[in-house]
Amino acid sequence: MFFAGAMLARLIVSGGFGWFVQQRMKWPLIIAAAALILFGLVEVIVSWREESDTPDTAGRSRGPLVGWLLALPLLVLVSVSPTALGAAAADRVDAYTPTEAENPFEPIDASDGPVEMRVLDFLDRAMWDEERSLEEVTVRLEGLVVNDEDHTAGFTLTRFLVSCCAADGIPLQVDLHDVGGTFEDDTWVIADVRWIPPDIPYTDMPSDERRIAAKVVSLTEVPDARKDPYESPY
Amino acid sequence: MTDTNTTLDAPEPAVHDHGGHDHHDQGHDHDHEHEPGSFSFGPTILLLPIVVALLLRSRWGFLEGTDVRLWSTLFVSVCIQALPFLVLGVTISGLIAVFVSPDLVQRIVPKRPILAVPSAGLAGMALPGCECGSVPIAGRLVSAGTPPAAALTFLLAAPAINPVVLVSTAVAFPNEGRLVLARFVASFLAAILVGTWWARRSKSSLLKAAGHLHDDDNTNRWRKFVDVASQDLVHAGGYLVVGALAAATLQLIVPRSVLDAVASNELLAVLVLAALAVLLSICSEADAFVAAGLPQFSLTSRLVFLVVGPVIDLKLIALHAGVFGKAFALRFVPVVFVVAVVSAVVVGQVIL
Repeated sequence: MFFAGAMLARLIVSGGFGWFVQQRMKWPLIIAAAALILFGLVEVIVSWREESDTPDTAGRSRGPLVGWLLALPLLVLVSVSPTALGAAAADRVDAYTPTEAENPFEPIDASDGPVEMRVLDFLDRAMWDEERSLEEVTVRLEGLVVNDEDHTAGFTLTRFLVSCCAADGIPLQVDLHDVGGTFEDDTWVIADVRWIPPDIPYTDMPSDERRIAAKVVSLTEVPDARKDPYESPY
Repeated sequence: MTDTNTTLDAPEPAVHDHGGHDHHDQGHDHDHEHEPGSFSFGPTILLLPIVVALLLRSRWGFLEGTDVRLWSTLFVSVCIQALPFLVLGVTISGLIAVFVSPDLVQRIVPKRPILAVPSAGLAGMALPGCECGSVPIAGRLVSAGTPPAAALTFLLAAPAINPVVLVSTAVAFPNEGRLVLARFVASFLAAILVGTWWARRSKSSLLKAAGHLHDDDNTNRWRKFVDVASQDLVHAGGYLVVGALAAATLQLIVPRSVLDAVASNELLAVLVLAALAVLLSICSEADAFVAAGLPQFSLTSRLVFLVVGPVIDLKLIALHAGVFGKAFALRFVPVVFVVAVVSAVVVGQVIL
């Protein structure tokens, strides 16, 4: 338990926990790590004191065999070095398609240049905004490069929508055009883009063809991925 | 299963002095795991593979493969997400073991089955703990004179609808408040139905008394608390790891087309997830996170997973057979399985 707590504490301090779960889990994780370390210490102290009292505690139950499986996540953490979700994961699950969103959307203030926006909001606005507020603005999106066989004109900017933990991640994707070069999968980029309105309304397309596209105005590679790489649904 | 015994009974040296009670028998399943003198064995076992893995890390190319790394991300993320809830759950179950006596529970639950069944269900709601903890509690309720049907209702309700479980479900499905409601309703319904069925058809002859509670007042409270909490954690955590392994592996090993095909056939999806719930034996405080990790499946089929798991799975069947006897388990298990699946599907249709 002590080991598990210490490992968890390391993940929290390094910020690496953001690869696995939402940022809002930080405090629950801190408490859990503290409790694990405390339990571990108390257990050691109590059994140490008892051993000196009564020599006959050796036979007491040390828990079932299945408990040793607890060591497995620790083993995986040190040996495999997991990463944040990326292109490989995007290939496993259907990309997010905005199902519905409430109008009216808040007006966009574009007076200070490119508007920073979550990929999720970009997709929702593109699909549902009756005012078509994206038409006149340049938007700054952040995400990963995923090279996609369905979209060979550029790459697909991808960010993961994670409601709970990385295992439920759903890719949020925007097909980028005019990217000016080739990029490797999983490169982290910041892209200033303009939405490309579809020829026919998205709602008239079959739902698996509703791909949202944008034209790149400028593109910057970011050397290190963020510690909080995921977007959350709220 | 010694661990679940000690969960609520005061922990003590392995030699009990009430032979003849069958709850004593369970103790032998695991005796081989803790030989006397194996006290410092644990940390060694834990460290060895870690050291080996670190040494071999650069040589094992496959550990750097994309799929392996993705698998490890999925696996570890389910474990990390569920951990705070497990810790909360075992802390509370440790506190209950120290401060709440079965006498108290028994005083609250009425004697007449018709009243006892629903109120035992509600009592289950107030006592957070995972299923491994509720089996010995139910056994002690029976031996203390509670109508067996009520004890069974408690047994089914406690792990499924307690606050820790409902909160973890809400966290796992943040946009699906209805799923939390559906889980509550379906699990409560299943518990009441099985309890009522048992009250009507059985005179409890199959239900063996589950041994006496031994109050060990001499035991240090700290020690009792830490023992209960740590043993619950080790037990529940172990099964959580099994569940996380299965969820991550399913996502990667099973081809996407197969997963999608199963998930899109509602009947198949329900049956597969019900079977998985039984096989995986995930702790009820953690199962919602595993279900959230299966986004291809419909909400109703995942509700089945969440309703079936806490009431019937491999480890519970083993516990039932140990605490209440094999004859009881043989009759009880299929009924609970069917009732839980049907209840979840019906409630899912209505609420989701």
